[in-house]
Amino acid sequence: MRIRTLTRPERSPATPGRPDAPGERQSPTVPKRSPRRPQRSRSRDGLNRFAVFAAPGLLVYLALVLVPIGITIGYSFTNKNPFNPPTRWVGLDNLTSLASDDEFLTALGNTVLVTVIVTVVTNAGGLAIAMLLDRRGWLYNALRSVFFVPVVLSAVVVSVIWQAILVDDGLLNSMLGQLGMSDPPGWLSDPSLALYTVAWVIAWQGLGFCVVIYLAGLQGIPQELHEAAAIDGCGPMMRFRHVTWPMLAPAVTINTVMSLIGGFKAYDQVQVLTNGGPGPGTTSTLAFQVIQTAFNGNHVGYASAMAVAMLALVAAVSVIALGLLQKREVSS
Amino acid sequence: MKEPKAWLRPVVALLAGFLFFLPIYLVLVNVFKDGSAIVSNPVGLPIPPTLDNIQGVLSRPDHLFWYGLVNSTEVTVISILIVTAISAMLGHYLARSTGVMAKVAMVTLLCGLMVPPAVILSPITEVLRALGLMSTVPGLILAYVGYYMPFGVFVFAGFVKTIPREVEEAAAIDGAGAFRAFWQVVFPLMRPASASVLIFLGVWIWNDFLNPLIILGPATGTTVTVGIYRAIGEHQADFGSVFALMFLATLPILVFYLAFQKQFVKGLTGGATKG
Repeated sequence: MRIRTLTRPERSPATPGRPDAPGERQSPTVPKRSPRRPQRSRSRDGLNRFAVFAAPGLLVYLALVLVPIGITIGYSFTNKNPFNPPTRWVGLDNLTSLASDDEFLTALGNTVLVTVIVTVVTNAGGLAIAMLLDRRGWLYNALRSVFFVPVVLSAVVVSVIWQAILVDDGLLNSMLGQLGMSDPPGWLSDPSLALYTVAWVIAWQGLGFCVVIYLAGLQGIPQELHEAAAIDGCGPMMRFRHVTWPMLAPAVTINTVMSLIGGFKAYDQVQVLTNGGPGPGTTSTLAFQVIQTAFNGNHVGYASAMAVAMLALVAAVSVIALGLLQKREVSS
Repeated sequence: MKEPKAWLRPVVALLAGFLFFLPIYLVLVNVFKDGSAIVSNPVGLPIPPTLDNIQGVLSRPDHLFWYGLVNSTEVTVISILIVTAISAMLGHYLARSTGVMAKVAMVTLLCGLMVPPAVILSPITEVLRALGLMSTVPGLILAYVGYYMPFGVFVFAGFVKTIPREVEEAAAIDGAGAFRAFWQVVFPLMRPASASVLIFLGVWIWNDFLNPLIILGPATGTTVTVGIYRAIGEHQADFGSVFALMFLATLPILVFYLAFQKQFVKGLTGGATKG
């Protein structure tokens, strides 16, 4: 770590005040070579810099993310169960069992459905609210904060709030009862409704994030484009179609990918709102199923196979979504 | 451009905001009502307000809230400081390196951004057990540092490009070693990036549920988020004290967020406009 080895100002050989300069024969663009010693210390210096600046982070990442992923992949080929040793190598048995495991397939279907609902609702709702709030003034500033508050809250807190509202004798149903509805729906207890309720709660919390990103996107669109389109005879719908929407492409990419990844991670809301129920696995998601199988069922090997499938799915979906959306950004 | 019905926008906006905020309003008003008033009139304002619910949570004999508060604060503050320091150094190093290995490390880290926690939690417990840190606060901190490192590196590496190399070279010429040049010259220049990382991670870690639930386990206590979950299991019907616990558990992070609100939104949209 010595200064001499770092880049230093290049001196043209013809610099006045250096009578011993090699002079005309050397091209001014070629920097003067340093003698051997600093050269050697440069690689040691690089090593020191690596040890101080990069090694701690890489080491922690290796030990607590990459190695665990490796362990998960390794376990996915075993029947590991800490309460039922010995652990045996079972090859692809876990993966083939997954293909015919109704619980897993239900969780997979639930995860896809929740993810799609959350992505559509947060994006459509977020864009609508962003366009509504895309004005100056204290009212709009205050409303922006209102929509953002749930983003800052814990998913557990949000789930408990909605639980108080949505349980069978909760606030929503007692209000519906006062309005004269004799048999209000069981938002969390009806197996055909509960998954949509969970998706709604996740979407409600994520909406504010999309609003902020879309607002930033809207404010980045030059006013001249709207004016030019208006002069060319475009009504509000046409202006949205041909100016706003294409210009928002990067914001759409961010919001879609974030909601897709967020949907796949969904765990807290399921655990608090329904605990996977009502009935067997009606609202269980992949993340919920993996945790249940690993920590409550202790089938670590089988849970690892699920986790590997989940990881592959998240990777595939994000790469495809990112590819498609970014292509749109370039072409439009 | 003039708007045809100018009064419509604020009305619709207010109505949408009101409907959206209703659930949070319900918590806020019911924290200050006694149990019978919550059941008979959940939507009304708390007149006269009572602090019984809050006092009840604060004086619980099992100290659920206070232990959770201590653990949450400790875990959040230490985790965000470590992630910021380590990922600032790593992000800067990788962004300035031109080698193939640095590129590979960068891509590997970015892949870590999308790994769902459920996928690696079970092996993490084994790594922590091997290190003798399972069911401890340092173990939970370590898990967060590993998991959030990619986000920190992503933010800092993006920001480094806005800092001219000449600044570092000037510091080197003035006699600063690499360590000093980084901490005294480059790091202060990355303040916006540091603010984003600190605020985002502060909110995420404070609010996290799954990791403390599994890593800390029942023996070593709980964070405030896990505390709320345990409390709803105990007294399902007593919304007054559950709401009070939620109110108290959210207050610190809400104050933290409000204090840094500008930076939070700036950090959020900084990434968005870059695409």
